[in-house]
Amino acid sequence: MPIEKDHQYYDLVVIGGGPGGLTAAIYGGRARLKTLLIEKSLIGGLATYTNEIANFPGFPDGIGGLELMRQFEHQAKHFGVDFKISPVKSVNLEGTDKTVETFRTVYHAKAVVIATGGKPRLLGAPGEEHFLYDKGISFCATCDAASCKDKVVMVIGSGDAAVEEGLFLTKFASKVIMSVIHEEGHMDANAVAQQDAMREPKMEFRWNTVVDHFEGDERLSCVVLKDTRTGDLIPVDVDRCFYFIGYLPATELFRGQVTLDERGYIPTNTRMQTNLEGVFAAGDVRQTCLRQVATAVGDGAIAGFEAERYIAELEVYEKQLMQAEKPGLIYVYSPIDQRSRDFLPTVRELERDFDGKIKVSLVDTYKGECLAARLGAVESPSLVYTKEGKVVGKSRDLARDRIAEMLADLVEGRVPTPAE
Amino acid sequence: MAQMNLDCLGEACPVPLIRTQKALTDLAVGDVLVVEIDHSCAMKNIPEWCGKEGHNFEIEEVEDGQWEIVIEKTH
Repeated sequence: MPIEKDHQYYDLVVIGGGPGGLTAAIYGGRARLKTLLIEKSLIGGLATYTNEIANFPGFPDGIGGLELMRQFEHQAKHFGVDFKISPVKSVNLEGTDKTVETFRTVYHAKAVVIATGGKPRLLGAPGEEHFLYDKGISFCATCDAASCKDKVVMVIGSGDAAVEEGLFLTKFASKVIMSVIHEEGHMDANAVAQQDAMREPKMEFRWNTVVDHFEGDERLSCVVLKDTRTGDLIPVDVDRCFYFIGYLPATELFRGQVTLDERGYIPTNTRMQTNLEGVFAAGDVRQTCLRQVATAVGDGAIAGFEAERYIAELEVYEKQLMQAEKPGLIYVYSPIDQRSRDFLPTVRELERDFDGKIKVSLVDTYKGECLAARLGAVESPSLVYTKEGKVVGKSRDLARDRIAEMLADLVEGRVPTPAE
Repeated sequence: MAQMNLDCLGEACPVPLIRTQKALTDLAVGDVLVVEIDHSCAMKNIPEWCGKEGHNFEIEEVEDGQWEIVIEKTH
């Protein structure tokens, strides 16, 4: 029997509780938006799987991923952000009433930040699921290299990340065994990295191999490789195994609504806007060139800030510009444009002349070009006339007489109300 | 639709997960199990297991460091 869903209303809903999502929520909360962050399991995202974060500025001695994320969470709670820990089942991100559903609740939002991150690609080999993350299979050399001191590790992959991270691991491990699917001497990495790797005495290559399965008790102790030419099984004893076979963005939920690139990442502009208005993306899920806590934080700040601006403009648009009480005159202007400035007193005079019978609003394009774009009047100076909450005319003609005539027609009901 | 509470307060992993698995076998499809926990590792393994098994779940933070995992049995 399905549970009847509860409906809750928020200004901003952030999907994903990693560093990008938490930062967006902090900015949203601080801007006094009613903000909700939804995370599927533990707050902190992929960063909590990292032993130590050495390159996040402000922590010269490094800080544990879990600890850093707990600080982010406290800061967000301090700004009044609500948290919900539950997987998102479905979303509807189009229009102004956006919904994000968990299995018991429908959350309504004016703006949504997608910060669902990425997941390391898995092999799917037998035994893999028993040893993921803390049990011997890692995805981040920077995170776990120090715990590999004088140990034997295996690296799966031969791309840039695999070879470069493998080289980094040789500084700690006693031996780094690279399992490469290609024939002897062939790697996918750039030539410089390949050369360095071939010269490194601690690196050993197992060409023409793929993982057959993993073995171990509590922790991983042996990777059994398979020779792709002969089918022979080759057991290799290791203390840890690193995958560098790529990431998969967690964007399946949004497919068909948000535009994704061919690899599934979300392309945004520099303001973190996606193809849908009021929907922003931040962090690893975004099409970008570097995926770090520091970059996710930057993205999250922009996304949170832009979400606030979007909501504020939406409110001005709906409540102020599209008010239905009186005929409206909207003056779209730019304070850095001489002609725009010169005409401002005339707008004020007209407002006085009509003595409360019309509602005059000003839209400063220098501050918010989105509002002007929403009005369909991006060039300043221009005039927009409204009646009963609908646009009835647009003009770039600044002749005072003609404006007064149009306003009089509006006030005396000689302009028909536009159909929906 | 029945609801059952499972008190796992003070219990460390993997006890909450094992008790959750056992409690769910006694419930009917559509029933709801509310597991009370205060051990953060159960926040990882219970949701992971639910996700893998396809059961619906949602977590409420009752107070700092104490949670209720609400699980709906789906099969």
